Amino acid sequence: MASAPGRNRRLESAVSILLLVVLFLIALAILVKQADVDMARFGLGAAAQPDSQQAPDLAALTPDGFKELSAPLVYTAGNLYEKINGKAPLYLDAGFLKLFTQRFVSRTDENLWMELYLYDMAGLKNAFSVYSVQKRADVEALATMQFAYETTNALYFVHGRYYVELLGSAESPDLLNAMTSVANSITAGLKVDEEARIPELDLFPTDNLVSGSFKLSLKDTFGFADLTDTFTCRYELNGQSVTAFISTRSDPKNAQKIAVSYCDFLIENDAKPKPTPNETIKKVAAKVFDFYDTTEIVFFLGPYVGGVHEAEDQKTAEEVAVMLINRLTDPHGAWGLTKNPKQ
Amino acid sequence: MTEHNNMELPRRQFLSRAAKAGISIVAAGAISYALYDREGPVPGVSAEDLVTLPDFSIPPEDGRTISIVTGSDRTKTVGRAIELLGGLGRFVRKGQTVAIKPNVAFASPPMLGATANPGLVAEVVRLCYAAGAKQVLVTDNPINDPASCFTLSGIAKAATAAGAKVILPKDSLFRYTTLAGGKLIRNWPVYFGPFSKADRLIGISPIKHHHRSGASMTMKNWYGLLGGRRNVFHQDINTIIAELAMMAKPTLVILDGTDVMMTNGPTGGSVSDLKRKNTLIASTDMVAADSFGCSLLDLRPSDLPYLSKAHQAGAGTTDYESLKPKRAKIS
Repeated sequence: MASAPGRNRRLESAVSILLLVVLFLIALAILVKQADVDMARFGLGAAAQPDSQQAPDLAALTPDGFKELSAPLVYTAGNLYEKINGKAPLYLDAGFLKLFTQRFVSRTDENLWMELYLYDMAGLKNAFSVYSVQKRADVEALATMQFAYETTNALYFVHGRYYVELLGSAESPDLLNAMTSVANSITAGLKVDEEARIPELDLFPTDNLVSGSFKLSLKDTFGFADLTDTFTCRYELNGQSVTAFISTRSDPKNAQKIAVSYCDFLIENDAKPKPTPNETIKKVAAKVFDFYDTTEIVFFLGPYVGGVHEAEDQKTAEEVAVMLINRLTDPHGAWGLTKNPKQ
Repeated sequence: MTEHNNMELPRRQFLSRAAKAGISIVAAGAISYALYDREGPVPGVSAEDLVTLPDFSIPPEDGRTISIVTGSDRTKTVGRAIELLGGLGRFVRKGQTVAIKPNVAFASPPMLGATANPGLVAEVVRLCYAAGAKQVLVTDNPINDPASCFTLSGIAKAATAAGAKVILPKDSLFRYTTLAGGKLIRNWPVYFGPFSKADRLIGISPIKHHHRSGASMTMKNWYGLLGGRRNVFHQDINTIIAELAMMAKPTLVILDGTDVMMTNGPTGGSVSDLKRKNTLIASTDMVAADSFGCSLLDLRPSDLPYLSKAHQAGAGTTDYESLKPKRAKIS
């Protein structure tokens, strides 16, 4: 074919090639996308993936005599259920940010393995909450950390904003030693706010306090929806175990409102008001109830709602309530009403 | 060759053609972008594509609906419990294919009781073959990675050693289903493949505390039949469990209360979460089995709303005593 004079064949070829390249790229993109179906939509593939960019270096925590059993995984609020299913809401309600997991197995015994669960709960109080409400009964606290305990196959602790579980496949001293090693590596290597503390724990008197019995209930405390952010602990007194509680509210007005609402809730559930001879109780206008043959006491003082829950007898319940009231009203106390921790 | 082809292409015409070509590219791109399906391909959910899980139940026999056996050795208690209901020959015929659906939800060691006991699963496999089963399939769609769950729970090894074929879930084994009268299970992916080939279905589950539903037993075990983002059902956990009991019609369920997870379920984590109760239940009525099973968690049937929902839906009865349970003790 003869070329037309002045016709820019080279330019036409370039434009044609460009068009073909664009079409080829579009076809390639379609093919790639088609092959990249999210199988997690069918519940088949774990959406959690190895994520070295975001995760702490869990491999560095491998204890002596152990090796990695699986790849480290990261879970977010969107897929936490893929790891812990029905327990996910417990964490999500408590400020959960991320979960990092990693399994380690003994180099000499494949039946000895453990899994590390490192929950980033965004803050110390949140981490303490999930730690405390799941804490196993009748366990010894570990002296090396403020909030820590172990069972025959597992180790649990709070490290700043992190709640940590190390779960073993067997009841083995070797496994527990390895878990302790991992725990030590975490506390030594994972940077947290060392100054963080939970001031509400100081609101409770220490006499007769059952060590390690503190719990933080973030909502629905004692079945009452509005009783949120409530610390509880147990006292051993007169041969009885008594549960005391304090919830710090935004201001005295709100504390009064919650206390009154909680009393109404108790009455709606068949609690019967009881008279009290105790002068301290009367002085702060605390309410005493008979609640299915247990004693319930509720008061508000400044920004605090406090009381005693389901005590076996009224006398012991009132003794504990008086201890709480004295602590909260002590003008020389670290957390007396004159020094509202929220101020 | 025309005269036109030999003519010089005017600059104006060239620019016009180039502009049209450019507009064509932009238009094609815009149309493609508009038509692009970000959700990816969705399997057909038209009425003709929906499936229904087969009904594996067998005709009831008065007084042989539920058995409760106490004892610490699962291989003995399960054998006795089934024997009290008429023996496995009542449930499995020669040449049949049996699907066993144990709870393999988590990649958890057997000691923690978060999954079905591997020794119990293996014994049921053995009993099925002894009754003349042609093939026994063991399968589940776990919460965690399936391969890890079957391996670390010990179920893959135990079931395989007993002669079962272990099937891990994959995309091609799922179909969409709608439960007649269901509120939640509508056009939802269900684990169908292995069960479409089976003649009988046996569920095996441990008794566990469950943070959301109160308890996980035989009815909750069918949660493993669901695909998709099934966690959305946690918002209405009692309804979904009741619907699962309506959707799955097993031949037999086995509820293992030898070691019961009393707290921190459904995952547990510490052996201290378990309490030895030495009880095993076999039943053709899973509502009845769970209604008794919850007593091992110190709960009453009325504490678990899904039980009354399933009862009202006709999936079984919460009044298990009315079924005159067969009881035995193995020392």
